[in-house]
Amino acid sequence: MGVDQSVKTVSADSINSFHLNEKKRIKVKPFNKASLIIQLTIISLVLVTIYTFISFDYSDINLFEGIISTFQNVKIMFLEPHFKHFSFVTALYQVMITLGLAFLTTLFGALIALFLGFFAARNLSSKPVSAAIKGFVAVIRSVPTVLWVLIFAVAAGLGSVAAVIGMTFHTVGYLIKAYSESFEELDEGVIEALKASGANWWQIIFQAVIPSSMTYIISWTFLRFEVNFAVAVAMGAAAGAGGIGFDMFMASGFYFDLREVGVITYFVLAFAIALELIATKVKTNLKTSA
Amino acid sequence: MTTLLQLNHVSKHYGNDTKALSDVNFSVKEGEFVSIIGPSGAGKSTLLRCINRMVDANSGEIIFDNVDIAGLGKKDLKKARTKIGMIFQHYNLVNRLSVIENVLHGRLGFKSTLAGALGLYTEEEKRQALQILGVLGLQEQIYKRSDQLSGGQKQRVGIARALIQNPKMLLCDEPIASLDPNASKIIMDHLKNISASMGITVLVNLHQVEVALKYSDRIIGVNKGSLIFDGPPNEITAEIIEAIYGSEAGDLMFDLGGQYAG
Repeated sequence: MGVDQSVKTVSADSINSFHLNEKKRIKVKPFNKASLIIQLTIISLVLVTIYTFISFDYSDINLFEGIISTFQNVKIMFLEPHFKHFSFVTALYQVMITLGLAFLTTLFGALIALFLGFFAARNLSSKPVSAAIKGFVAVIRSVPTVLWVLIFAVAAGLGSVAAVIGMTFHTVGYLIKAYSESFEELDEGVIEALKASGANWWQIIFQAVIPSSMTYIISWTFLRFEVNFAVAVAMGAAAGAGGIGFDMFMASGFYFDLREVGVITYFVLAFAIALELIATKVKTNLKTSA
Repeated sequence: MTTLLQLNHVSKHYGNDTKALSDVNFSVKEGEFVSIIGPSGAGKSTLLRCINRMVDANSGEIIFDNVDIAGLGKKDLKKARTKIGMIFQHYNLVNRLSVIENVLHGRLGFKSTLAGALGLYTEEEKRQALQILGVLGLQEQIYKRSDQLSGGQKQRVGIARALIQNPKMLLCDEPIASLDPNASKIIMDHLKNISASMGITVLVNLHQVEVALKYSDRIIGVNKGSLIFDGPPNEITAEIIEAIYGSEAGDLMFDLGGQYAG
């Protein structure tokens, strides 16, 4: 009893004194270097934005008229679309080519990235190997996909070959990071358990690592597929890779036909939405079953 | 009974000054049930993991089944590990796989890389898995995903995975630390039964002194990486508990120690 009471008085005292000493407002977030830097960043961004708007050179463009005509163009694009230089079937065929480009690059990229991802994961590989792959991959990722395609176009010439190689390259870089990070989240104990029973590295990979991270692998791959579809459209325009992107480039840059650009935009949009729906469905199926 | 495991002057330190084990010596006979007790951070887990070299000891000999484990190459080490089953506090099952797939993982060490990677098991191995699951009372759960099981059931799957190796020894790292008393009793009864009926040596790390006193043939007390006590449960006294756990814990466990040791 005596011990109990003394403990209570001590704690009550300490709580009181704690409150008494806090005369200022009580902060919920501690003030540290990180929060200071975040606040400074936000303030400087706001300042830069204000300065940019003030110093804009509008020259002879009337801002109001510009906005109006933009809306008019958008209206023409989306409310009055028509086919002129190609038919519905051709457009569908061209979208399929673009989709094919996205599928092929994602497939190649995923296979290579899966294999290299095991060596890039810190818990499955040695430190120097992991660091080497991750460093190399960071360089690949920091250069945009379009640039990679143009770099490979030097050797392969502008066209679908350069697009496939360049897009695969960037996909590999992206997926290695995604895969290896999901492998690293794997419970260390599972690997330990299989190791302790005498299993070797490849057996652990196939029996523990892949089954455990299957959901991550699928969802990252799908995400990259969607990205690659968008990139494939751009590659058709920028790198002559064919597909719907090239038609869009012709419609806008060559024929100045806003209505046809509208049609193509609808096609791309429809396919992007369809992809998204399929991806969501696959993911939910994967989570509930097996 | 012959000696199965012998540790001679085993020491382990992490970094330069963190000593985990210092000059540990003991031996375990075939079929013995030995508990290792001691406070958190005393080196119990390190000691257990040194035996199958999940952790490499810095010095000393670990003779298991007449082979010095410490000196084995990669390939021989894998072979030796197949003879030692291991059971973990957090079960360490592959959650997304079924119970029987997890049990069959215990056979990977016996298989070729390809067959193991693809999960091609022989009928004989599958039959053995079913038989072990039956003994452990999991025949209803064979095709359930292992994350749908309760803690006690998961630990039984862990035991099944170790048993399908046909091991000579089981290393159990805090097998009941995450379980309720009821499941703990079931697990300890199974372990005791395995040791008694199959003649498999069982080495258990335990937090619960009373469990160690009840189930063990022998108790090893560890504190700060050194062996404090090595003997049968009836030689444990309040003084020894105090030496293992420090003075305050000695007070706390006085009744307990007295009751069993008395």
